Amino acid sequence: MNKDQDLPLRNDIAARFVPKIIILMVYLGTLCSTFTFFMIHSTLLWEEKLTTHLSMEIPFFSDASSKDLQTRVTDLLQKTPGINKVEVVPKAEMQTLFHSLLGEGTNVDTFSLPAIVDVSLNKGDAFDVDNLETQLKAISPLIQLIDHRLWQSQVSNLLFTSTSLALLLTFLILCSTLVTTFFATRTSLLIHRKIVEVLSLIGATPSYIAKQFQRNTFKQGLFASSIGAFLAFLTFLGIYFLLENVGQTFIVKTSFFFEVLAIFILVPFITSFFMMLSARRAVMKALCS
Amino acid sequence: MSEVIGELLGVGHQYDEGPEIFKGVSFCIEKGSFRFITGLSGSGKSSLLKILYLGLKPKWGSVKLFGKDTFQIKPTLLPLLRQKIGVVFQEFNLLDHLTVIDNVSLPLRVRGIDIKQSYKHAGELLEWVGLGDCLKAYPPSLSGGQKQRAAIARAVITRPQLLLADEPTGNVDDEMATKLLCLFEELNKTGTAVLITTHNQRILKKFPYPQLALKEGTVFQLPIEKKAS
Repeated sequence: MNKDQDLPLRNDIAARFVPKIIILMVYLGTLCSTFTFFMIHSTLLWEEKLTTHLSMEIPFFSDASSKDLQTRVTDLLQKTPGINKVEVVPKAEMQTLFHSLLGEGTNVDTFSLPAIVDVSLNKGDAFDVDNLETQLKAISPLIQLIDHRLWQSQVSNLLFTSTSLALLLTFLILCSTLVTTFFATRTSLLIHRKIVEVLSLIGATPSYIAKQFQRNTFKQGLFASSIGAFLAFLTFLGIYFLLENVGQTFIVKTSFFFEVLAIFILVPFITSFFMMLSARRAVMKALCS
Repeated sequence: MSEVIGELLGVGHQYDEGPEIFKGVSFCIEKGSFRFITGLSGSGKSSLLKILYLGLKPKWGSVKLFGKDTFQIKPTLLPLLRQKIGVVFQEFNLLDHLTVIDNVSLPLRVRGIDIKQSYKHAGELLEWVGLGDCLKAYPPSLSGGQKQRAAIARAVITRPQLLLADEPTGNVDDEMATKLLCLFEELNKTGTAVLITTHNQRILKKFPYPQLALKEGTVFQLPIEKKAS
């Protein structure tokens, strides 16, 4: 005899459709929360990259003045406080960039490509960009300073909106799972009304009856959400390998993979826990009113 | 004067728009008392018992159980009152998906007693009522009389303060009926108040306890029957 068998909950009608709904909900919810995590990671990486990097564009001149200009600029940058690293983007990298934009057959040597200087700033230090720009313009008014921070806020806003939407969607999926559980429990309570009545008449407290529903819902929820999370994990792996095949990378940091793995493991437990609370609420509300 | 554990005051009831089954019914149940409720079928015996085991709320009057007004009590406290009452339902109300031993041990389990101990008690009791070989049987496979005995075992297993039995001898032969009434008597001797509805005259003669007769919607106290040999 098992403690949770006072009510034959395993084979009722509610038990037949609920797991299927939970599998679908958890599948969508897990993918959504993975996407949210991905967005949060991307936002942080972007912000770090954009707030600590500047680029200089030195125009190409056919005479030797280009090289001299480049040297003067790098000298100035190396002397400027707050700058961590100055790196002239190598020609080969520039060519790769242009090939990816214009096609492999393009002869980029025929273009008057400007020299790009990539500057890394010290993290957390205040940096006077306007002063640097004035000094660069003094060397040559044609030198362009590209401050990524100007459009960083716009990108951040976009990422923040996407992250919030993904979070909202995850929350809504969780809510619909809980509402489904609530009404399925109410249905189950109606199906077993006679047994519940007998249990009440022999002195069972609403809490005792609720526990029976809770245990059943937890087991059912854990089973169904494990399947949902596993399917979502397979989908995640599918997307990852698909992106790998087309030369893109999905994982923004190594830690991201482990964090996502933690989501896939924790989601079934979190979902079934909340489902259990929802089932309890449904029973207590019906029996204590 | 003995302690009153149940009190009905001016209780009346009617189902929906139907006729009044009874009205102005008042009586007390003293601790350790033994009483029969008699009356023709349809006189409201079962409804009266239902009111006492808190399965039905009367339309009129007040019901006090163990010093608590059942109309005023919080719904969450009702199970605590019900735990003091043992009920033998007329339709047995055994749970078909549970074995006989599970059914009988259920009242102990809902009170938090562990399964092993509740099985031990239930086993002993079932042995006593002659269902020792039906422990693992399911109620649908039992005869009416066996179901009746299982229902009685379930009602008395917690040694309740008040035992309400609705026609407990309706489906058993005279020998078993006498045996069951003896069980109720034994329980009564330990302080349990017993209230039994019956129209079995032989039982009434054999067990001469006070009777409350329900007739034309009111309750009358009848003189004690002369004990039959």
